[in-house]
Amino acid sequence: MTDRTTAPPELAVTDVTVRFAGLTALDAVSFTVTPGSVHALIGPNGAGKSTCFNVLSGLCRPAAGTVRLGDADLTRLAPHRIAALGVARTFQNIVTTQGTVADNLMLGRHALSRSGFAASALRLPQARREQREHLDRAREIAELTGLAQHFDHPVALLSYGDRKRVEFARALCLEPSVLLLDEPVAGMNAAERARTVEVVHTVRAELGLSVVLVEHDMGLVMRLADEVTVLDFGRRIAHGTPDEVRSDPEVLRAYLGTGAEQEDAA
Amino acid sequence: MSERLPRARAIRLGWTLAAVAVLCALPFYLDAFWLRIGLFSMAAAVGAVGLGLLSGTAGQLSLGHAFFLAMGAYGYVWLAGEPGPGLPTAVAAVLAVLLAGAAGGIFSPVAGRVRGIYLGVATLALVFLGHHVLLTADSVTGGFNGRSVPPLELGGFSFSTDSELTLLGVPFGAEERLWYLGLALFAVTWFTARGLLHGRPGRALVALRDSETAAAVMGVNVSRYRSAAFVVSSMYAGLAGVMLALSFRRVVPDYFGLVLSVDYLAMIVIGGLGSVAGATAGAVFVTALPLLMTRYADQLPLVAAPGTTDGTVGPTEAARYLYGAAIVLILLFAPDGLHGLVRRLRARLRGRRAAPPPAGTTSPSRPPTSAVRAKEPTP
Amino acid sequence: MTSLLDNVFNGLALGAVYALVALGFVIIFKASGVMNFAHGSLLLLGGYLTAVLHDDLGFAGALAVSVLVTAAVAGAMDRFLLQAGGPDPHTAHVQTIVTIGVDILILTDLSRRIGGDLLSLGDPWGDSVSGLGPVTVADSRIAAIVVSAVVIAGVFALFRYTTWGLSLRASAEDVEAAALMGVRLVRVRMLAWCLAGALAALAAVFLAAFPAPGLERTTGQIALKAFPAAILGGMASPPGALAGSLLIGMTEALVAGYQSELHVLGEGFGDVAPYAVMVLVLLVRPTGLFGGKAAVRV
Repeated sequence: MTDRTTAPPELAVTDVTVRFAGLTALDAVSFTVTPGSVHALIGPNGAGKSTCFNVLSGLCRPAAGTVRLGDADLTRLAPHRIAALGVARTFQNIVTTQGTVADNLMLGRHALSRSGFAASALRLPQARREQREHLDRAREIAELTGLAQHFDHPVALLSYGDRKRVEFARALCLEPSVLLLDEPVAGMNAAERARTVEVVHTVRAELGLSVVLVEHDMGLVMRLADEVTVLDFGRRIAHGTPDEVRSDPEVLRAYLGTGAEQEDAA
Repeated sequence: MSERLPRARAIRLGWTLAAVAVLCALPFYLDAFWLRIGLFSMAAAVGAVGLGLLSGTAGQLSLGHAFFLAMGAYGYVWLAGEPGPGLPTAVAAVLAVLLAGAAGGIFSPVAGRVRGIYLGVATLALVFLGHHVLLTADSVTGGFNGRSVPPLELGGFSFSTDSELTLLGVPFGAEERLWYLGLALFAVTWFTARGLLHGRPGRALVALRDSETAAAVMGVNVSRYRSAAFVVSSMYAGLAGVMLALSFRRVVPDYFGLVLSVDYLAMIVIGGLGSVAGATAGAVFVTALPLLMTRYADQLPLVAAPGTTDGTVGPTEAARYLYGAAIVLILLFAPDGLHGLVRRLRARLRGRRAAPPPAGTTSPSRPPTSAVRAKEPTP
Repeated sequence: MTSLLDNVFNGLALGAVYALVALGFVIIFKASGVMNFAHGSLLLLGGYLTAVLHDDLGFAGALAVSVLVTAAVAGAMDRFLLQAGGPDPHTAHVQTIVTIGVDILILTDLSRRIGGDLLSLGDPWGDSVSGLGPVTVADSRIAAIVVSAVVIAGVFALFRYTTWGLSLRASAEDVEAAALMGVRLVRVRMLAWCLAGALAALAAVFLAAFPAPGLERTTGQIALKAFPAAILGGMASPPGALAGSLLIGMTEALVAGYQSELHVLGEGFGDVAPYAVMVLVLLVRPTGLFGGKAAVRV
């Protein structure tokens, strides 16, 4: 387990290319996530943002290029190995498992705990102690993310915004050094959005992790992000601070575009 | 997950102790017929808990449970008997459980890769291939006629009628003795399976069922856990196989056919997927019902009527009709199984007694997650 | 050489009949996500009806009635027992177990009626044989191949060219989207069950015809061979079910034909060889020969 008190390692994506049956989803994309920063990944629909997240979390193998986290090469690792190295993610559509909020958060502690089948079946003392300790930490994270009052409620009964927050908290339970948030406020109302922004600020301040963010809400991106990478049709078309990106002619064209291009992007 | 109030905990403990006391007292009051129903039910419950872990919790459909039951049963008979190494019976029983687990492990290349209904039918192959081997490998299995089962001996105490034993005026034959063995093994199953389910492995298995993708990015080694679920489930099946062999006192290949596998699937669904109590309830239901019906069917009005135009309905057939109808009816009215039915009744009773719970908590609206679901939701 | 051709032909005929059963099984799975454990019972029901009716109605009439009745029984079973709570794909596993209950009911009843008898279905081919090049083959088997081929082609045409086929494919792809597009899920599903029942009733004829001795109460168990056939082809693919069935039929016929050379594997290995083949195929291709991509999309 890495020592999470120091600054997180740098996440470096270099020339990553992904092809699906002849279609190039990502074309030699590179960017670097500065330790402790919020890095936004934006672009029109179909630009390759989700594919990029899938490469980062190991769900999709790139045809070329590398992903490195500090000294570790993530490119060919299985998802669970990448998770163990401290990369956690949420999904665009909520993917929670059956059970209570606590069950879901404890799943997030999986990579950080050890009890196997035998120890759990026999309820050995170390397994029980481990479970207790991790449950305490899960409760702390629930408090941090505003889920404390729902801790023992079944996830299926929560509101949409709360379930989205469960995913977020579950990812935090991995004690990640890099947190990948895939459209964390999609489908939320204004109050829920504000709350989520607040939580992202808090965890970043308290846990000192790097955040990679895919989001369509430009206002939110501009408020949260330190750096922005813009993708279009699988290619990086711009990079820089929110202000730099906002005035970039390439970006304006990609977003406003000509009629034909817009049709394609949609 | 919640920390129970001390009072609730004490009440629960009281109920458990009462249940144990009643179960321990039963051999003094029941005759062999009822005890045998109990023995088969306990064995089935152990097997069903295993299948419940695999198909209910981990979402891997298995039709091969009969094969692993057979591994346990035949493993014990061969290891403890002649021909065979003739090991001490207790050692043979433990090894038989491990053997069944190893068989599950050998199947793990398939279990780790094949999913859903494909896995279901792949495990079907185990039953047919296994049955074929049981029939043809005479020297080990005794072929079509099977083998007789050496009675278990623990520290000089034999679980058979070989030596006479009378306790409090009740003669203790094989059934009475095996009853306590069955209870002990069932208790072990209950304890370990609940530990697994509520612990780290259980959460990982639930995650596998609900979304392999989410499980993987949360750090669960997907193929390893898929295989492990098979091994653990097979070990419970092996233990159930040993218990069945001891209760039957003879093992024959035809018992371990597809029908048995299907019965176990019916048990876990009728009981309600994903819980140890549900699997137990389903096991008792599926095991005891046909036996009871066969015994008492001749007292049913329709069955007594001799020679209708289509021929007579014998007690065995009547039992089958009722069994089939019971499966259909239970699932029509309680799709979440007996466990779900009890939970709803309890929620209703509690709701009547106490103030109504906050909106939405009375009926968990989420449909039960499927073991044979066609596809997983794509995130 | 002749014996090889014999075996190949037998395998072809056997596979063609398995395909009828497997196709029905796959259609049901596609339409409802349910593994139909009552498929063997439906098959037996079809065979039984043909057997008891052919004296009065003639073979063709009896077969027609039997196909219709079996289709109706299958449809009713789906509509009134399985879909009682609506066509909810989340309860497919519960519905699968309900089919076990139905199977027990139908099978118990038919077994009681058939008893130890061997019923003749009154098919027109009897035990006549024809010379086909160097081999002599039973007419019933030629009929099995021809009829299966025609019927299967017809089913594919249904899939491809009818609104029902389109609706079925759409709902197999995404139930909710299909419902939003106005697909009447309940009916589409029920019709799929009817079709599968009809195919099973038809298959019963060939399974009971020469050289088989007739319809027995165990004939329905043959449906179990269709499981590996369907799986081998990839459950979601009708052409796959066909190819899988042929492979299973061939395997069984060849292993049975060369029984003496394969005696180390034990007597009656032909019956279980299809399962061995299936496991081997699944090890290499976890979703069958024609199955779609196994990869999890995100």
